Amino acid sequence: MPEVATYSIGAVARMVRVPPATLRTWEERYGIVQPVRSEGGHRLYSRLDVERLRFVADRVREGISPGDAHRMLSGVSGNLPLPAADAGTQVVILLAERDPYAAEFAEFFLKTEGFEVVLALDAADAVLALGTDRPQLAIIDLLISGGAGLELCRDVHARGIPVLALSSLATRDAALEAGASAFLQKPLEPLQLVSAVKDLLGTSSFLTEVVPAR
Amino acid sequence: MTDRVSSGSERLDAVLGGGLLANSINVVMGLPGSGKTIVAQQYLFENASEDRPAVYLSTVSEPLEKILRYGQTLSFFDASAIGTRVFYEDLGASLNHQDALTETLGRVIDVLRERRPGLLVIDSFKALHPFASDATAFRRFLQDLAGSLSAYPATSLWVGEYGPGEIEVEPEFAVADGIISLAAEPTADRDTRVLQVLKLRGSGFLSGKHGYRLSADGIHVFPRLADPVDQAPYTLETERVSAGIPALDEALDSGLWPGGSTLVAGPSGSGKTLIGLHYIFKGAEMGRPGLIAGFQENPTQLERIVNGFGWSLGRDDVHVMYRSPVDMYLDEWVYELLTTVEERGIRRILIDSLGDLRATATDEIRFREYVYSLLQRTAHAGVGVFMTQEVAELFGVTRLSEYGISHLSDNVILLQFLRGESRIKRALTVLKTRASSHDPRILEFEITSNGIELGERFADDQSLT
Repeated sequence: MPEVATYSIGAVARMVRVPPATLRTWEERYGIVQPVRSEGGHRLYSRLDVERLRFVADRVREGISPGDAHRMLSGVSGNLPLPAADAGTQVVILLAERDPYAAEFAEFFLKTEGFEVVLALDAADAVLALGTDRPQLAIIDLLISGGAGLELCRDVHARGIPVLALSSLATRDAALEAGASAFLQKPLEPLQLVSAVKDLLGTSSFLTEVVPAR
Repeated sequence: MTDRVSSGSERLDAVLGGGLLANSINVVMGLPGSGKTIVAQQYLFENASEDRPAVYLSTVSEPLEKILRYGQTLSFFDASAIGTRVFYEDLGASLNHQDALTETLGRVIDVLRERRPGLLVIDSFKALHPFASDATAFRRFLQDLAGSLSAYPATSLWVGEYGPGEIEVEPEFAVADGIISLAAEPTADRDTRVLQVLKLRGSGFLSGKHGYRLSADGIHVFPRLADPVDQAPYTLETERVSAGIPALDEALDSGLWPGGSTLVAGPSGSGKTLIGLHYIFKGAEMGRPGLIAGFQENPTQLERIVNGFGWSLGRDDVHVMYRSPVDMYLDEWVYELLTTVEERGIRRILIDSLGDLRATATDEIRFREYVYSLLQRTAHAGVGVFMTQEVAELFGVTRLSEYGISHLSDNVILLQFLRGESRIKRALTVLKTRASSHDPRILEFEITSNGIELGERFADDQSLT
């Protein structure tokens, strides 16, 4: 699978537990992990970028200076394994998807990985599910209910739930501005979907209270 | 930019504007024997990887055993890939159910989930039609299948024995993002294989009919040469070069422009081939490698002819491309010619003759398109072309070429027989030279062991008929 820059700086900050301002400082000062930029100028990080920053953040927490940690990163770059995130048993994901065929595939692949999936085929159902199912992550098709996905993104983001935005159209910037942590263009590669979900949950699933599976 | 899916054939990809669109649905149509299954398998092996395997689903008209048995004779068929990156499966069992299309749909979705393929072939798709209770049921199946395939990132090929009349009728053609037609067009007593892209949503492609051949290496497509007028400037050589015959150089005002095209027309036996051979061999002696593209004399016969003038075909700077006009494709020939010119650094070409070449083209417009495109390409490359053209009349030539090639040529030379007192005289006239002046006289010439020798101007009372 080609390396795709999927994650916003906010999502990466949560995943590696380093404030966005520090990530920007590291980027400017050491220039080793350089995210690509979207057309609108947003920083976009790939999975490898995230793992490299996680490596630096872990060393800094061990007491090594950021400069030395980046030098160590240069020494091991290319050999960083991409750890598989823990299986998401009992984690609830809201899948707000207008296309029943796409929903069927996404639901299948997420359930295969052990996630609990709550499916909403329109925005109103999705809002309802936010209250009743308390998902830890929302996957939102931006074209749901005739284009209500961005509004839904803002709503979900405001509730502190990370959002993985999807669309057949190249609307990454609009999604990130609406509060999405990551964006994937459809049709979805199963591995890419599952990786993005696991990455976005990687930290938050440990920090938030886990809801028992229904 | 949308990703493209390669066929493994550079020319087929070029016809498709770079390849099939990734994650699109494509119909490959054609009557039995047109090579649909070969093309599908070419895509299969070209695009299969262990991460994104390719899956071939056979239905009922193409038994899997048969597909595999013949498939393994293809050079790209890799038996070791089967089971790891290429999977062949049979949908026949699903079709035995009462609700065959629902079962088939379910099986296809299972394949997408389990194999996670990047490419999916269904062969034959047309064979699914009789399993629908009515047209509505088939459309419903089609909508569900297309919906699933659009939601999943896989490129699919639906292969079927559809005839041209079915495009307007069958709903899969409306659903498809791309339609590739493989057909055979009758030309005299033989068929010419032609590939045509009938639809490619969201992408440009090379329109029209493109000749193709099938071999153990798969499909070989010869994209229709129809070069648009190229207005981009290119560098011209500034010095004229000898045609190979001193007196003709004089009549042509100090020789030819390199990269120019010359048509030599005349009746049988008037010396057209010989003038062309002078052009080639004298050119080679001047450091301009030559290519003799002939149809009548095979290399052995040609060797005997050139030996008579003290030349030999054994030299490295003269290459012979002899092809029998029987069962020859113009498209294939032109591509072979252009490849030889490039590979061998050819600077002069003799095409002997246009009449033989014309016989290989399906129609005259196509023939002119090819010659025009060929001359454009050679002019840009600074490669000179001599073409011979036989005219029917032995005496009193009234028409040059019925193919309109004389308009495309930079120079036109007419050879003709004139009646003498007790012998036939040979006469040469330069009818046209582009971008220079020429001697308008009718000159007598003779063919001797020294080659072509120009004589004096005819007397005023010489009959021209």
